[in-house]
Amino acid sequence: MDFAQNLSNAIILGCTYLLMAAGLTMVYGVLKVLHIAHASVYTIGAFVGVLVYSWVGNFWLSLLIAMIFSGVFGILIYRFSYYYLLDVPRTVPLIASIGLFVMLTDLLQKPFLMGPYQRAFPAGGAGLPRIDTPWFSITSKQLLIFSVTIVLMVLVYLLLTRTRIGLGWQAASLDREMAAAVGINLNRIIALNFFIGSALAGAAGVLVGIYNNSVFATMGDLPSYKAFIIIVLGGMGSLPGAILASLLLAIVENFLVASIGYVLPRDSIAFLVLILMLMFRPHGLLGQE
Amino acid sequence: MLRVENLHIGYGQIEILHGVSLDVKENEIVAVLGANGAGKSTLIKTLIGWLKPRSGEIYLNEEPIQQLPPWQRIAKGIGLVPETGRIFRDLSVEDNLRLGAYLQSEAIIKEQFQVVYELFPILAERRKQTAKTLSGGEQQMLAIGRAMMSNPRLLLVDEVSMGLMPILVKRVLQVIGELRNHQVSVLLVEQNAYEALKIVDRAYILENGHLVLQGTPQELQENPKVKAAYLGG
Ligand SMILES: Nc1ncnc2c1ncn2[C@@H]1O[C@H](COP(=O)(O)OP(=O)(O)O)[C@@H](O)[C@H]1O
Ligand SMILES: [Mg+2]
Repeated sequence: MDFAQNLSNAIILGCTYLLMAAGLTMVYGVLKVLHIAHASVYTIGAFVGVLVYSWVGNFWLSLLIAMIFSGVFGILIYRFSYYYLLDVPRTVPLIASIGLFVMLTDLLQKPFLMGPYQRAFPAGGAGLPRIDTPWFSITSKQLLIFSVTIVLMVLVYLLLTRTRIGLGWQAASLDREMAAAVGINLNRIIALNFFIGSALAGAAGVLVGIYNNSVFATMGDLPSYKAFIIIVLGGMGSLPGAILASLLLAIVENFLVASIGYVLPRDSIAFLVLILMLMFRPHGLLGQE
Repeated sequence: MLRVENLHIGYGQIEILHGVSLDVKENEIVAVLGANGAGKSTLIKTLIGWLKPRSGEIYLNEEPIQQLPPWQRIAKGIGLVPETGRIFRDLSVEDNLRLGAYLQSEAIIKEQFQVVYELFPILAERRKQTAKTLSGGEQQMLAIGRAMMSNPRLLLVDEVSMGLMPILVKRVLQVIGELRNHQVSVLLVEQNAYEALKIVDRAYILENGHLVLQGTPQELQENPKVKAAYLGG
C-alpha cells in the first residue's frame, strides 16, 4: 500500500524534474553549456502563469501564455549571452550562466516584480478528477502534472524524431560545424531549441507553483541544481537518459525520505545519489564517453 | 563556377595561405595537391565558411560569397565532403543522407536518394544501420553520398583517400571522377597526387602557402619537380 503510494508520488515528482531537465539537456546537447539560468526561466514561467491566472482565471490559458513567454525569454537569453560565447572554452558560458541566474533571481525579488513574498496559485487540479484505487490515490493536481508532462514530452519527442527540423537538431547536437555544412541554419535551430526547452521549464514552474500553491522569486534555487544533477546522471545531453534519471532520482528521493528522512533531508539525498553514480558510472546512465 | 582571388588565411598569429588564387570551371574536376600540413584543409574550411579569410575574395558563379554563413553557401549549390568524412555517427545511413538534402524539397530528396543509391548500392543495403557501424570505406561513401544529396553544382572534397586501403582509394576517387556525369564541378584537395592525377582535368600544387604550379595531369606528371616531390621519383 505504502509502496504503491510512494511510487506514484515519486512519478509525479519525477515529471516536474523531467520538464526542467529536458530543456537543459536540449541546450547542453547543442551548445555544450550547462545552462544554470534555465532555473530562472522556470521561476519566470511560474510568475507569468500566476499573473495571467489572476486575470483570466483559466489554467490552460495561463499555462499556454506562460510557456510562450518563457520560450521567448529563453531565446532572448541565448541571443544576448550564449550567442556571443559559442567559440570560447565551455567554462565561459557556464560562468556567464551562473551570473545570469543570480542576476535574474535578484531582479525578480525587486518589489516591482515578484517581491520577497509568496503568491498563492490556486488553480487546483484544473477540473481534473481525483483517482482512488485500493493501493494508491492520485490527487487531481497530481493527475494534472502527470498528464501535462506526458502530452508535452510526447509532442517534443515527435518533433525531434519525426520532423526535418528535429533531425537537424539531432545533427547539430552531434556535430555543430558539420550540421552547418549540410545547410542547417544554426541560429534558427538553436533559437528553436531554447524556445522549446524554456517553454518546458516555464510549464514546470507553473505546475510546481500550482502543486505547492506558492510562487516566489527564489523557487528556482532548488531546481537549478536538481536539474543539473539529473543531466549529469542521465549522461550529458542524452534525452532518454534525462528521462530515466528524473524518474530514478525522484524514486530514490521519495523512498529514502520515507525510510531515512530523519537522518538526511531530501535534497542532500539527491547529491548522495549523484556522488554514488559518478563513482560507478562516470558517464551517467546512458551517456557515452 | 568557383573563382578564388588572393586568399590569405591563417589561425591566430600564423598565416598559412599567403595569397591563393584559383578557379574551377563548369563541369571541371580540379585538384589542389600538397603535402601533409600544406594548408589544403585550411583552404576547404574557408571555402565552406568555417573559417574567415584575412583578405581575398571567393566568387561562386561570379557572386561574392565570403560573407555568407555555411548554410547559405550550401543553399547556393555547394556540397562538402570534409576531411575524415564527419558523418553523423549516431544516426542511421538514411538520416545522414536525408540531412545532406536538408534544404531540398521532398521531390528532390526522392530523386537524389535514387542517384546516391545508384552510385553506392551498399548504402541502400545499409540504410537502416547506424552510420558508425559502417566500414571506413563505406563511411567515406556515405560522406560523398550525403554531399550529393543536395544535388550540388560544386563539390568540395577534402582528402577522401585519407586512411583508406589503396584499393579503396582508387575506387573512391574513381567515383568522384564519375561525378562528371552529374553536372557537378569538383574541387578536390589531396595528398595522394598519384591517384588524384588520374581523375582530374587540372591540378594545382600547393607549397609553403602558395600555389606554385598548375597544369593538366599530363603536364604535371612530366614535370621533373612534381615527379620528384609528389610521384615518388
Ligand atoms: N585550428 C588550427 N589552429 C592552428 N593551426 C592550425 C589549425 N588547423 C591547422 N593548423 C595548421 O595549419 C597548417 C595547415 O593545416 P591543414 O590545412 O590542416 O593542412 P593539410 O590539410 O594540407 O594537411 C598546419 O601547419 C596546421 O598545423
Ligand atoms: Mg587536411
